[in-house]
Amino acid sequence: MFVRDYMTRHPVMGDPTMSIVEAQGIMAETSVRHLPVVETGKQLVGLVTRQRMRIPPTDLASLNVWEITRFLSNLTLQDVMVKRDAVITIEPDVALEEAAQVMTRHRIGCLPVMDGNTVIGIITEIDMMAQLTDLLGGRTPGIRATVRMPNRKGELAKLIGAIADNGWGIYASGGVQTPKDPSHWDCVIKVRNVPQAELVAVLERIEGQKLIDVRQQH
Amino acid sequence: MTMKRHGHAPILKLRNAAISYETRYGDIEAVRNVSFQVDRAETFGVVGESGCGKSTVAFGIVDFLGPNGKIVGGSIKFQGRELIGRSQEELRKLRGDQISMVYQDPMQALNPSVTIGDQLTEVLTVHRGIAKKEARGKSIRMLERVYMPDPANVMERYPHQISGGQQQRVVIAMALLNNPALLIMDEPTTALDVTVEAVVLDLIEDLKHDFDTAIVYITHDLGVVARVCNRVGVMYAGEMVEVGSVEAIYDAPQHPYTQGLMRCVPKLGSTKESSILYPIRGRVPAPKDRPEGACIFAPRCDYSTDRCHNEKPQLRELSPGHSARCFYSETIDPSTWRPPDGLVPEFASRAGGNGQEPIIRLKDLKTYYEQESRSVLSLVGLGEKLYVKAVDDVSLQVPPGKTLGVVGESGCGKSTLAKTIIGLETPRAGEAQFLGFDITVPVSERDVKLIEELQMVFQNPDSTMNPSYNVGHQIGRPLRRFNVVPSDQVRDEVVRLLRAVRLDASYCDRLPRQLSGGEKQRVGIARAFASRPDLVLCDEPVSALDVSVQAAVLNLLMEIQQEYGTTMMFIAHDLSVVRFFSDYVAVMYLGHIVEIGPAEDIYAPPYQPYTEALLSAVPIPDPTAEQKHIRLHGTVPSALNPPSGCVFHTRCPRRDLLPDGGKICEQDVPPWQHNSDEHRIMCHIPLEELRKMDPVVTSR
Repeated sequence: MFVRDYMTRHPVMGDPTMSIVEAQGIMAETSVRHLPVVETGKQLVGLVTRQRMRIPPTDLASLNVWEITRFLSNLTLQDVMVKRDAVITIEPDVALEEAAQVMTRHRIGCLPVMDGNTVIGIITEIDMMAQLTDLLGGRTPGIRATVRMPNRKGELAKLIGAIADNGWGIYASGGVQTPKDPSHWDCVIKVRNVPQAELVAVLERIEGQKLIDVRQQH
Repeated sequence: MTMKRHGHAPILKLRNAAISYETRYGDIEAVRNVSFQVDRAETFGVVGESGCGKSTVAFGIVDFLGPNGKIVGGSIKFQGRELIGRSQEELRKLRGDQISMVYQDPMQALNPSVTIGDQLTEVLTVHRGIAKKEARGKSIRMLERVYMPDPANVMERYPHQISGGQQQRVVIAMALLNNPALLIMDEPTTALDVTVEAVVLDLIEDLKHDFDTAIVYITHDLGVVARVCNRVGVMYAGEMVEVGSVEAIYDAPQHPYTQGLMRCVPKLGSTKESSILYPIRGRVPAPKDRPEGACIFAPRCDYSTDRCHNEKPQLRELSPGHSARCFYSETIDPSTWRPPDGLVPEFASRAGGNGQEPIIRLKDLKTYYEQESRSVLSLVGLGEKLYVKAVDDVSLQVPPGKTLGVVGESGCGKSTLAKTIIGLETPRAGEAQFLGFDITVPVSERDVKLIEELQMVFQNPDSTMNPSYNVGHQIGRPLRRFNVVPSDQVRDEVVRLLRAVRLDASYCDRLPRQLSGGEKQRVGIARAFASRPDLVLCDEPVSALDVSVQAAVLNLLMEIQQEYGTTMMFIAHDLSVVRFFSDYVAVMYLGHIVEIGPAEDIYAPPYQPYTEALLSAVPIPDPTAEQKHIRLHGTVPSALNPPSGCVFHTRCPRRDLLPDGGKICEQDVPPWQHNSDEHRIMCHIPLEELRKMDPVVTSR
């Protein structure tokens, strides 16, 4: 679970001299929302987002319709992009949750992934969502169960042991501290090819833990 | 299982692209109506015969068309950006950063006067301004990534100092150094041996996943497509006639041309009886002769109707992701196809010949080439003489009227064996008899009658015909030389021979340059059979030809053989062709025959380990066929200093079946083990052990 595994390689990119009109077209055609701006050798010089392309109406207020056209056609990416120094980037070997933290901290939607000053990929909030989905096995059919357990050593082992004793396996799992209750943890597990009733029976027998949700996912 | 996330658009998208060349006949549209797209981590194969415009498409994508080529219509979008109409400067930048190409001949892509290390690091220092030392480190890591043995050492070498397979790996490494989004490969393995090809194809498959690169893979080889591609576009005469997933195209081809192509490819998994090849009649029209306002394939199609000749079919989607350019795709059922009369010769069972006295018999034949020693002593004639053991201890015999196929990697001595039999090389030792005559004497000392009975068909028809004499003269020459017919009947005989190879009398007055490759090879065959020889040696007679032509030439050879009862030795590197063609097969490695026997026995266990590896490397035109994964590493060792014991022990993947990791293989020459009267295997591993192995190919 590193940036390199979840980033998109070969992102769609633009040149500093590319016109805004063309860049708009490319972003619409490829349905991307972020466009790293690069010079020869994929050297990063800036970043353009859809927001960046929104020109404040005040800039255009004093212009007539012909002047607006000329103004727009002369506008290039280097005029609107976030400059290199202000672009927050990341390296491919960073753990995914750390990348997510960077994005949350700066309230940004994407991070260009760099090797030196060369762009090798991009990771966006969508990639993070995909990772979260994968983490809990969301794309695979099976039974999703949430078990609440006390916040102490050995509780997770009890859960895993109970599953393993029946010869079953855990396809995916994740755990968080119970919201607003630091003394407990909620653990989500995904189990496949097991009848739901049998699984529920086993989980309910675990001492000190509580099965708070079970559902079939298709 | 990961779903598509960022950028749902494909890396490359062509819509109705058309490319023209300016010629003295005006602009000629080489490619038109070509549409396809390639996604990340996907390989799109473009297949078709030569002259169908495959390479033009590849060059068109990056506008490498040369001064007379131009894109005249449609759209080519790379990552959402229109490439048509870009300035050369913009394209140059794109090619450097995001699009790489790998060509057929690695030696032409590498600079012979610069070390490999310098060529690789240059890519990074020039394009990305990376410091030299760091670039070197990256280059070495990339060489490791393409499984180059000893990469640090290879960096110091010049291109000619490494093998062809390694050169191609360097070219691929170089193409990947800039981490391109799109990789265009134009026949990247065609110039390589089958064992090396298998390794390079595995590599391409691995890299696609690791680098998420979109690959456009151009090839004429349907077997290769089945191995590496996800989706395929079949091109015919400049148009895309069918596009679909590789499974759909092989399982249920919808266009008659694709169906025809499938029928003319030799298949390894099938039995000999079912492996008859059906050529497509006619040939690909030149761009200026293509039918207008009609189906482009109609003149060669078995299903064509008036509509096909009067209306142009569009590429239609028949099922999701699978389209074909044919009016009748839904109604044509290829399983009910029957060959038209005269397309395929009647193959009478070629029984007989067994138990007859063999027509040719070799015993312990050795042909060595003397090598200049580099020592000073050799200058005065005192140095130790070194020999390249091109053919070593070869024993075989062929009954009259039968065909012996000889296979092996390049450099294994196949051609030297043929040259020795024909008399162009003189053996150092051993016996060779043909019709009871000794043929260890060079051709210049042979009796004319003997030469008459022993003829040859060569690999490259271009270089074996005199460009300044017409065809009639060239076929007539052996007739006059051997007095086959009285001199006033030579012309009639030439015409008869031309007819036998399916060419008409008008070809007599043509010059070689006025013939296509397939026609030249037919003339070559007519010339070889002119003297009505008893034995014809065919040295890779079809490897330079397109598949549909190849099928026609192979059928022709078999037909003529039956008519004249000629014996043949058929040299090939392609194991599937040999199976179709031969009664007996000999597998050669480093000058030695390691397995020989009836064709059926060679393709089933017990295998000599080398035969097994060769079979497992052959690309099979069937994506559902299961094939054992055995890869040979390294190259054929030098015949100057062959390995001790078993010559194959340095690369043998089965050595560990023997005690001590096969120590005996290094020490002792393996014995001949007889599986049946005619089938023998040269190996230390006991036959019982070899018999237990699974067949290499199992088709479902």
